[in-house]
Amino acid sequence: MEVLKEKVEEEEAAEREEAAERAERGEKTKRPMEVRREETTMTQEMLRDLERKLSEIEVSVPEKLLAFTKDTIDTSKLPLSYQSNTLKEEHLLQVADNFSRQYSHLCPDRVPLFLHPLNECEVPKFVSTTIRPTLMPYPELYNWDTCAQFISDFLSMVPLPDPLKPPLYLYSSTTVLKYQKGNCFDFSTLLCSMLIGAGYDAYCVNGYGSQDLCHMDLTREVCPLTMKPKESVKEEEKAPPKKYAIKPPRDLTSRFEQEQEMKRQEAIKAEEENRRKQEEARLLEQENAKTDPLHGLRVHSWVLVLSGKREVPESFFIDPFTARSYSTQDDHFLGIESLWNHKNYWVNMQDCWNCCKDLVFDLGDPVRWEYLLLGTDKPFLSLTEEEDEGMNDDDDVENLGKEDEDKSFDMPPSWVEQIEISPEAFETRCPNGKKVIQYKRAKLEKWAPYLNNNGLVCRLTTYEDLECTKTLEMKEWYQNREDMLELKHINKITGLNVDYFKPGHPQALRVHSYKSMQPEMDRVMEFYETARVDGLIKREETPKTMTEHYQGRPDFLSYRHVNFGPRMKKLALNSAESNPRPMVKITERFFRNPAKPADEDVAERVFLIAEERIQLRYHCRSDHITANKREFLRRTEVDSKGNKIIMTPDMCISFEVEPMEHTKKLLYQYEAMMKLKNEEKLSRHQAWESELEVLEILKLREEEEEAHTLTISIYDTKRNEKCKEYREAMERVLHEEHLRQVEAQLDYLAPFLAQLPPGEKLTRWQAVRLKDECLNDFKQRLIDKANLIQARFEKETQELQKKQQWYQENQVTLTPEDEDLYLSYCSQAMFRIRILEQRLSRHKELAPLKYLALEEKLYKDPRLVELLKVFV
Amino acid sequence: MNRLYDMEPRVMDDDMLKLAVGEQGPREEAGQLAKQEGILFKDVVSLQLDFQNILRIDNLWQFESLQKLQLDNNIIEKIEGLENLTRLVWLDLSFNNIEAIEGLDTLVNLEDLSLFNNRISKIDSLDALVKLQVLSLGNNHIGNMMNIIYLRRFKALRTLSLSGNPVAEDEDYKMFICAYLPDLVYLDFRRLDDHMKELAEMKHQYSIDELKHRENLMQARLEDEQARREELEEHKAAFVEQLNGTFLFDSMYAEDVEGSKLSHLPGVGELLEAYKDKFVIICLNIFEYGLKQQEKRKAELDTFMECVQEAIQENQEQGKLKIAKFEEKHLLSLNAIREESELSSIETKIVEYSEDITELFNVLMTLEMQLVEQLEETINMFERNIIDLVGLFVENVQSLMAQCRDLENHHHEKLLEIAINILEKIVKGEMDEDLPDDVRSLFVDKDTIVNAVGASHDIHLLKIDNREDELVTRVNSWYTHLLDKIHKDEIMRNRKRVKEINQYVDHVQSELDSLECGDLLD
Repeated sequence: MEVLKEKVEEEEAAEREEAAERAERGEKTKRPMEVRREETTMTQEMLRDLERKLSEIEVSVPEKLLAFTKDTIDTSKLPLSYQSNTLKEEHLLQVADNFSRQYSHLCPDRVPLFLHPLNECEVPKFVSTTIRPTLMPYPELYNWDTCAQFISDFLSMVPLPDPLKPPLYLYSSTTVLKYQKGNCFDFSTLLCSMLIGAGYDAYCVNGYGSQDLCHMDLTREVCPLTMKPKESVKEEEKAPPKKYAIKPPRDLTSRFEQEQEMKRQEAIKAEEENRRKQEEARLLEQENAKTDPLHGLRVHSWVLVLSGKREVPESFFIDPFTARSYSTQDDHFLGIESLWNHKNYWVNMQDCWNCCKDLVFDLGDPVRWEYLLLGTDKPFLSLTEEEDEGMNDDDDVENLGKEDEDKSFDMPPSWVEQIEISPEAFETRCPNGKKVIQYKRAKLEKWAPYLNNNGLVCRLTTYEDLECTKTLEMKEWYQNREDMLELKHINKITGLNVDYFKPGHPQALRVHSYKSMQPEMDRVMEFYETARVDGLIKREETPKTMTEHYQGRPDFLSYRHVNFGPRMKKLALNSAESNPRPMVKITERFFRNPAKPADEDVAERVFLIAEERIQLRYHCRSDHITANKREFLRRTEVDSKGNKIIMTPDMCISFEVEPMEHTKKLLYQYEAMMKLKNEEKLSRHQAWESELEVLEILKLREEEEEAHTLTISIYDTKRNEKCKEYREAMERVLHEEHLRQVEAQLDYLAPFLAQLPPGEKLTRWQAVRLKDECLNDFKQRLIDKANLIQARFEKETQELQKKQQWYQENQVTLTPEDEDLYLSYCSQAMFRIRILEQRLSRHKELAPLKYLALEEKLYKDPRLVELLKVFV
Repeated sequence: MNRLYDMEPRVMDDDMLKLAVGEQGPREEAGQLAKQEGILFKDVVSLQLDFQNILRIDNLWQFESLQKLQLDNNIIEKIEGLENLTRLVWLDLSFNNIEAIEGLDTLVNLEDLSLFNNRISKIDSLDALVKLQVLSLGNNHIGNMMNIIYLRRFKALRTLSLSGNPVAEDEDYKMFICAYLPDLVYLDFRRLDDHMKELAEMKHQYSIDELKHRENLMQARLEDEQARREELEEHKAAFVEQLNGTFLFDSMYAEDVEGSKLSHLPGVGELLEAYKDKFVIICLNIFEYGLKQQEKRKAELDTFMECVQEAIQENQEQGKLKIAKFEEKHLLSLNAIREESELSSIETKIVEYSEDITELFNVLMTLEMQLVEQLEETINMFERNIIDLVGLFVENVQSLMAQCRDLENHHHEKLLEIAINILEKIVKGEMDEDLPDDVRSLFVDKDTIVNAVGASHDIHLLKIDNREDELVTRVNSWYTHLLDKIHKDEIMRNRKRVKEINQYVDHVQSELDSLECGDLLD
């Protein structure tokens, strides 16, 4: 407050303010003039016309009223700090009022400050105390980007009741979180609380934003997901030429011609660039045609993060609605009135004629930022501006006094309760778990995990046109799928589907791109090669060929390419599987096997099956440029005498870099050929197996697509049914165990001890008596029990006898039903008697044992043991 | 040893070997081919010559690639004639009459050796067989347990059989072997269990520990020696060996009779001491400088080699690329020519193709010539640099040596002075101290003493000169050799490459020609 009265500055400020105001109100002032002009020649019709116009303008403003009004909030259950102000808070409000008065006096043309809006209980609260710095227990919320993203997802946006004024109410973050909706001030307060909690130097900003910003309208923004990540240009540092590096051969081409060519190319490029730019400009113009009549007046609130803490290199804005970060120079932010954090409140004294582009966020500079409290921590006290200090020196006495007064005062603690987000709410994220964002030529849909039963969590649809009618492509992200599907990319134009998998697919699939699920069509499958025994990385298929790439195989195979011929005429009986396409050519390539010399290590092997020809190309020796080649013709011929020709020199054509003797021998060639024949069979078999595997994978994929089961982590106790059952069972068992223990702990001495005077030590006599009493009592109980059983037994027997008697008497007259009844009764009674008999005998058997056990127990009872020792 | 002597001993002649090779060669179709062509002895991998009554191993020198040789159940008395079979892995000499192990020194690849049922009484002469895994020595006359310790040196030995020897009758036999050969897995065709090994180890712990200690000492000594030798080698490469101490100084006085005599003179001892210190310091300077220079030269050579390698590699890659491109085209055009039916178009295609071949040849040769030029330039540069380096080195060493000489001169003057003083004293009869007789005999007159001192001085100077000359000649010969080799290598490389290109082009051309012929015949 100290500098407010500085005259020179005041004038300057006023001037600047005026200029700013003029700039800001540019449009606004124009309109009333228009209106006035019209008024001069106003007719009824015109008036109506005007009315209509005005109403049209107004239409966009309150799209829906604050659905989240005070009525819906139950204020009675809120804690006391919500419902009243402490003394300190009252004091603060007074200070704020004072500040506000001075401010409006000095800057009469500026809008009143947003200092102490009402909370949900209609109590005025200072904005800084509404910020409750909280560090969330979720590691995902530790960084600003994820934190902002969470808030933008978690809350649904409600527009301000009056887009031109800050709201009257500012609710606590706990309430906002509970109802999951809020306006921009609620958003930024919550975000600010969390960011400060996480250690950022964050501030809530009250200012002016563009229409898109205030309405959370992203339709003019390019979706961040569609943007291709910038390829980090890695310039490989060229090693400095070594001392003995050879000189390149002399360049004999004409430099002039090269330059001419280059110029021509550049001209073409420039022209293209120009055309593109024009096109862009045209489009931009089209889009910007609908300008906002309230441009520069729409109140918005966002978060400013200053550089310094948490290794933030540069200050930036976060729009809490969209969770996007903007540079402080961004066009969307049109001005700042004030900003605050949990400790202090600053009013912007700088001119916002050029939006926020010229603002300096040096909050320690009192010329630029007028603070409310002489805070204990001024963020940055700029050292360079000695001018300020000079001004501070000739402060008024009054000001100094105030300063002293203020010095003793700091911000009271927040009245807001601890901000808490339950894990369920955190996981669900969006209200009802679903959120749709419309971008320019794109639509983004988000779902909470497990909400969709196929595991879909996110879908991005990109369109060709601005109206979003022609779909270009769709990207769907999945989570927790049993088949490890992670992303599905569907290109609607080419019809190409690409599925991406996480590690763990049963067939180690990584990427699967296809146009149709039919076999023998164009498709590419990539695999996690380390998870596969055969080291397959990639398998490409076209209707006529199949190419496989391998890595890390013990036989050094790196590549296999199979050409298929047209399918033979199907026999009637055979099904499709048992009629594979004939292979025409198999090409296999191998890595260098270091154990073999290069000219015996085959690099490429081509089996021309139809021509019965085998071509071999060997690896090149390290100091050669040509490699051995060999070609075998496998024809079996018969010589003039009718004998089979085994091997003739012309069946093997070879070129050897360094001719060797032993390879010329027919025997060697014969053996090589025999080996190759076997290997050809093997290769064909492997190719055939690959085909089968493709079929299998396709089948599996179809099944998985249909089943789309989701995995549930064993740590997810809520969803995991098995785990839940198990836990419940465990709890039950525990409960029972507990009951049993309680029973076991029944004190057999308690009734007898109760008879004795409490608190006194037992004498020996008493102890003996106690023991005897206890034993007697137990004996009595045992006898009673025996008697009881005996009595029941006798009763049953008597009844049975009676019944038998009755039966014998009336046997003749009885109906079959009665007889049946009687017989069943008899058998039951007999059963009961037998049981009673058993129980009795068992009781008799056990009673003395039990008696002895109790006696033993009594002797060992800690209360009696000392006193009874003598008798033992 | 009940050998049937009723059969005549046979000689291992060509016929026998041929027969055996033929019988044991490939069968069926391959056999027909083999018969048609004949099998060269040097291609044979495995040979079986059992029950042949062979008395003497002979005529096996041609079997260079033999890996498995069976000579069991013969009457061989001496192991011989196996020197050429260096690839041998498997050798069976069981059931013979061999009395001593010998003649196996070249069979470094041998893994399995069977000498079962012979008359061997001592295990030795197996040192060369470092890969030995299986050794069968059952039914022999080995009587001394200490033979087993000899087997400790075979780290790969896993199977041993010694049953049927006098040693095997010892009750401690198994334990002893277990203890002394802990890596052994099978003894007399039975697996040794771990329990047994533990017991054995406990039983023989003391003697084994002692043995191990001795072995370790030996090992350490060997290693030390090795390290010393390597160091010396390194110093030799720097041409400054034995300059890092008093060696040169000592050698100066080693043959210097007068010098040692004169050192007994009063005052000379201290002088000598100081002289020695200074001399040694200079020697050390030379030594360190030499090592530093050696490092520099090495770095220079390494960069040069690396660069040359890189250049060659790059050139090769280009060549390979060119050939690969050509081959692709070549396959297509060959097929096209084969399938073409019209004679005129065949001809045009053939012409086209042969043009391609010529072009390939030209391209490859151009590449090669380019490389030759580039390398020549680089080699010349290297040559200049290395000569400069060597020149600098020699110059500096010479200046240091000159310092040595100065020291020697200085010392000589001092010595002469002392000697003359003493002579004067002796002449005047003022000499208090006693001098040994042989020293006193020098002080007869001035000439004698001056000559003696001069002779000593000459010897010293000669030694220094010799050392210097040696160093300089060796350095010079080193670099001339090096440069010669580089030039020669480059020429060799060039010729090889040109030959290769020619060969390839010829091959392609001949292929085309054969195609033409075929066409013409058709």
